[in-house]
Amino acid sequence: MDELDKLKGAWKNQDYSKHKVSTNDIYKMLHMKSSSYVKWIFYISIIELGLGFLISSISYFTDSHKDSMELFKELGVYSYYIVAIVISTTVVLYFIYKFYQMFKRIEVSDSVKNLMKTILKTRKIVKQYIYFNLGFAFILIEVTLSFGMIQSYLKIAIDKGEINPVIPLKAYIIGGVLTILIGLIIIGIFWGIYQLLYGILLRRLNKNYKELKQLDK
Amino acid sequence: MTQQLEKQFVSLLDENQNIIHKVCRVYTNNADAHKDLFQEVTIQLWKAYPKFRGDSKFSTWMYRVALNTAITIYRKSKRQIKTSDISDFHYRLESSDYDATMDEQIQLLYKAIHQLSDVEKALILLYLEDKPYKEIAETMGLTEVNARVKVNRIKGKLKTILNP
Repeated sequence: MDELDKLKGAWKNQDYSKHKVSTNDIYKMLHMKSSSYVKWIFYISIIELGLGFLISSISYFTDSHKDSMELFKELGVYSYYIVAIVISTTVVLYFIYKFYQMFKRIEVSDSVKNLMKTILKTRKIVKQYIYFNLGFAFILIEVTLSFGMIQSYLKIAIDKGEINPVIPLKAYIIGGVLTILIGLIIIGIFWGIYQLLYGILLRRLNKNYKELKQLDK
Repeated sequence: MTQQLEKQFVSLLDENQNIIHKVCRVYTNNADAHKDLFQEVTIQLWKAYPKFRGDSKFSTWMYRVALNTAITIYRKSKRQIKTSDISDFHYRLESSDYDATMDEQIQLLYKAIHQLSDVEKALILLYLEDKPYKEIAETMGLTEVNARVKVNRIKGKLKTILNP
C-alpha cells in the first residue's frame, strides 16, 4: 500500500461540519442567478448572430440603401443583389438553427470531456458564421471599391476632355492591388479583434480540452 | 410540486454537501472563492436536477456536475450571500480517529493538489474518494485504461511534491 492509499482513509474522514452550509442558505442559493460561463457564451453568441441581422435591417431604412438600389437597377445587377440577400439570409438562419441545436446539447451532467467538446462545437458554429460574414464583407468591399475606382477614373478622364476614355491595364493592376490590400486590412482588423476576444473567452476551456484529448490518445 | 422537488433536492444536497466542499477546496484557495464556487455548483445542480433520472447514485451525479462546474462552467464572480462563516478551511479529521500527523499530511496533500492542472485535480480527487476506475473514466470521458495510467502518473507527481 503506497503513501496516497494510506491517506485515502483520512481524506474521507475530513470533518466539514464546522463549515456546513445550512439548509436555509441552500434554499436561498437555489434562487440566485448563475454566473455561468455557458450563460456568457450564449449571450455573446446571440449578440454575434444578431449583429449581422441588425446592421442589415438598419441599413435597409437608410437613404444610401435607396440610392444603392437605384444604382443596382441602373447597372442591371439588382437581381444579383436579391440573390445575394437570399443566400446570406438563408445562411444566417441556418447558423442560428445549428447554434440552437448545439446549445441545447450542453448538459452540465455530461462527462467532463463531452461537456467541453459540446461547448467548443457550439462556439465553432458561431465562429464559422463570423468567418462567413467576414468573407461576405470582403466581397462587398472589393465590389464597391472597384466600382468606385472605375467610376472616379472615368469621371476624371471625362472632366479632362477625353471623349471615350479607356482605362489602361496599369491602372487596372494598381487599382486591383489597392482594393485587395484595403479589403484585407479592413477584414484583418476585424478578424484580429475577433481572434483576441475568442482567445480570451476560450483560453481555459481550450487548454483543458487539449489536455483531456491528449490523455485519451 | 416545485416546493416538493426543492425540499427533496435540498435534503439530498445537505446529506452530500461534503462532496461540494471537497471539490471547492481542491479548485479554490480562499474562503470567498470557496463560497462562490459552492453557490455556483448548487445552482448548477438545482438547474440540472429535473433531468436527474436516478440511473446513477445521486453522489455520482453530483461529482460530475460539481467537477464540470469547477473546471468548465465556473466564472469567478463577486456575487455572494451571507453564509455561516467559512473563513477557515482547515478541516480537522473527525475527532474519533484524530491523528495530528495524518491531519498535517492532509493539509500538505491539499497544497500539493493545488499545484496540479484542472484535469489532474479532478482525477486525483476521484481517486482519493476511492471511486472505481470505471466511474473515474466515465466521469471524465476517458477510457478506463487511460484513466488508470493518468491517475498513476499524477500519484507519482504528488509523491514528488510531497517528498521533495
